[in-house]
Amino acid sequence: MATENQDRFDRVDWDEIAASRGRDLSVNTLGMLAFAVPLALLGLYDWRLVDEREATFGAIGYDIDITSLEYLFVFTLLLFAFYLVLPLYQNPRRTKHYWTEFKRNRPAVVSLVWLAIVFVGGLIGPLLMNAPQQDILISHQPPVYLSVDQANVANCVGEIANGRCHGTWEYPLGTTNGGRDVLTGIVYGMTTTMQIAFIATTIVAVVGISVGTVSAYAGGWVDEVLMRITDVVLSFPTFLMFLLILYIYGAGIGMFILVFSGFAWGGTARYVRSKALSISEEEYIKACRISGANTYGVVRRHVVPNTASSIITQLTLLIPGFLLFEAQLAFLGIGDTEVPTWGQLISAGRSDLAFAPWIVLAPGIVLFLTILAFNFLGDALLDALNPEAQAETDQ
Amino acid sequence: MLWAALVSFIIVTVTFVLLSFAPNPSIQEAATQAALQGGDPAAAAERERELRGLNEPLHIRYMDFLQSVYTLDWGWSQYRSQPVTEAVYEGLYYTAQYSVPWTILTLVLGPLVGLYSAANMYSWKDHAATGFAFFGYAIPNFFFAIILLLVFAVWLEWIPVVYNANAAVFSLENVRQLILPVFVLVTGSIGGIMRVSRNESAEFQNSEFMKTARAKGVSPIRAYLYHVLRPTMVPLSTTIVGQLLALFLGSSLLVEIVFGIPGLGRITYEALVAQDTNLVLGTTLFFTFIAVVGNLLEDIVFTVLDPRISYDDR
Repeated sequence: MATENQDRFDRVDWDEIAASRGRDLSVNTLGMLAFAVPLALLGLYDWRLVDEREATFGAIGYDIDITSLEYLFVFTLLLFAFYLVLPLYQNPRRTKHYWTEFKRNRPAVVSLVWLAIVFVGGLIGPLLMNAPQQDILISHQPPVYLSVDQANVANCVGEIANGRCHGTWEYPLGTTNGGRDVLTGIVYGMTTTMQIAFIATTIVAVVGISVGTVSAYAGGWVDEVLMRITDVVLSFPTFLMFLLILYIYGAGIGMFILVFSGFAWGGTARYVRSKALSISEEEYIKACRISGANTYGVVRRHVVPNTASSIITQLTLLIPGFLLFEAQLAFLGIGDTEVPTWGQLISAGRSDLAFAPWIVLAPGIVLFLTILAFNFLGDALLDALNPEAQAETDQ
Repeated sequence: MLWAALVSFIIVTVTFVLLSFAPNPSIQEAATQAALQGGDPAAAAERERELRGLNEPLHIRYMDFLQSVYTLDWGWSQYRSQPVTEAVYEGLYYTAQYSVPWTILTLVLGPLVGLYSAANMYSWKDHAATGFAFFGYAIPNFFFAIILLLVFAVWLEWIPVVYNANAAVFSLENVRQLILPVFVLVTGSIGGIMRVSRNESAEFQNSEFMKTARAKGVSPIRAYLYHVLRPTMVPLSTTIVGQLLALFLGSSLLVEIVFGIPGLGRITYEALVAQDTNLVLGTTLFFTFIAVVGNLLEDIVFTVLDPRISYDDR
């Protein structure tokens, strides 16, 4: 709204609020529109005017192609920036409070740092590094500071001492049997990981919140039908269904995200519905109603913010599951072979496990740490954002 | 009960819709065959369609499909040259050998470790147990399996690398080759259960009835097992079945492939690779029914443990 300091009640400029009609757009919406509209136009241009085999920026001389998944990814990043990060900046006092709560949980802070590394690495890593290339001449190079029996390496790049091949800084984490650099593979895998995490959470949140609020406010048979659908979604064996879809149609990473997030919103929807029902009985909602707030206003200003903390927690705990399934499919060799993932690296190194364990270990440990970090983060967020839950565990 | 039947029905219907909108690999195969032998591919495809009954209207095929699914007439597996039901049965024999010990161990150890953790809250024992739970929860099962196989089978040579399918069920050899798969799955599934039971029993152990029990001089073991564990099991039972099932459906496939166990998961995977539609359908439907029955059991256990909850209104 139109006040500079929302966090202090006595500083609210009531005249300004009375003067505004509640129709002008907030900074967040304006910023979102400023970036999303060009993105949508670019997407439209790419979809309708550019030949499928041609790169998006081919016309002006850049050989950069944007896939539909990347459009979605950028869009969700914008959503997060303007509706999650910017509000935190706008309310420094609340942010500070969350941070002090959050800081008490030391593993969670470490997790956040690790996830920030993965996030930044996934965003800018592919811009700085070239995609991993096959090069049979440099296969099975050991990681730096480690050495491996010379008999296992056809062509040692580093120095050879006592019949053992030593690793070099050129390939800090070694190379695979095809001569791909493991570190580059991991960085490229970060991008895929982040795409899965962001797009899937956005879909789950949007569908879950919509179904939950519609169900709570519509009531009657709409509520009944929506909740029965939610029950089915909750007890649906998604992994098997995805195997079937994969078998019948073949599926890429985009399909993977769609199917898994399409069957993961059940818990969120149920929670939002119960919260919306309990909130609508509160006194302040009645006061809002009497002063003329419509249902959309109540949902937007009170129901969603009240459920946000729990939804964020739920989503943080959902992501590890997605990542795990993706890695499993990639490991089986039936995932998307077009995008580089950690699971692929793990499966690539399996046959050479006995003498080249770094190919499996490096991406495996990165995957393990990422899943662990998401779990710790979810636990810490539960404590920081939800004082009631904390009171329960402190008992 | 009705609900479980309905869910299974919906899943079967979705499967049918998915199948009927997709090009059937066997038709393409027939067309390719005909083209290779100089025949007319279109005619061969038509013949194959007729042979498989795909010319019938959609609703008749749907009824046929439903009938054969529910009468266990799941067709012939070309890849294994045996009826699909027989293949599923054979796979189940190996899958059960590690699933049964795994389920029992998880059900016994999970709540007990959680209870132990809650009884020693915030001590190093609690932290060790919690750390172990987080570790097992977060490490990808297939990755953990590969590492254990590398360490114990390849480097230390304590257990065989290759699974021997002919080992007798109750032999030392079988125990040795199944100990790693069971260990991997138990560490994977115990974490979530342990955490829920720790948090729930922490709530109950400071309750009034525990104070009364202690004041009456009930032995600590009885107090914990009888007065804390029982109410803890109620919220726990909602998560146990779901978690076990999710793990069973996803990870058993991976674990079987890593360890080379010729169970259901491996059959599913091989059928996927060999493009054996009937077998893929049979195994996925079998897993699906297990999931549905599991959810049903969960509801029943819930009402048995806590008589206050009733599902009459459903």
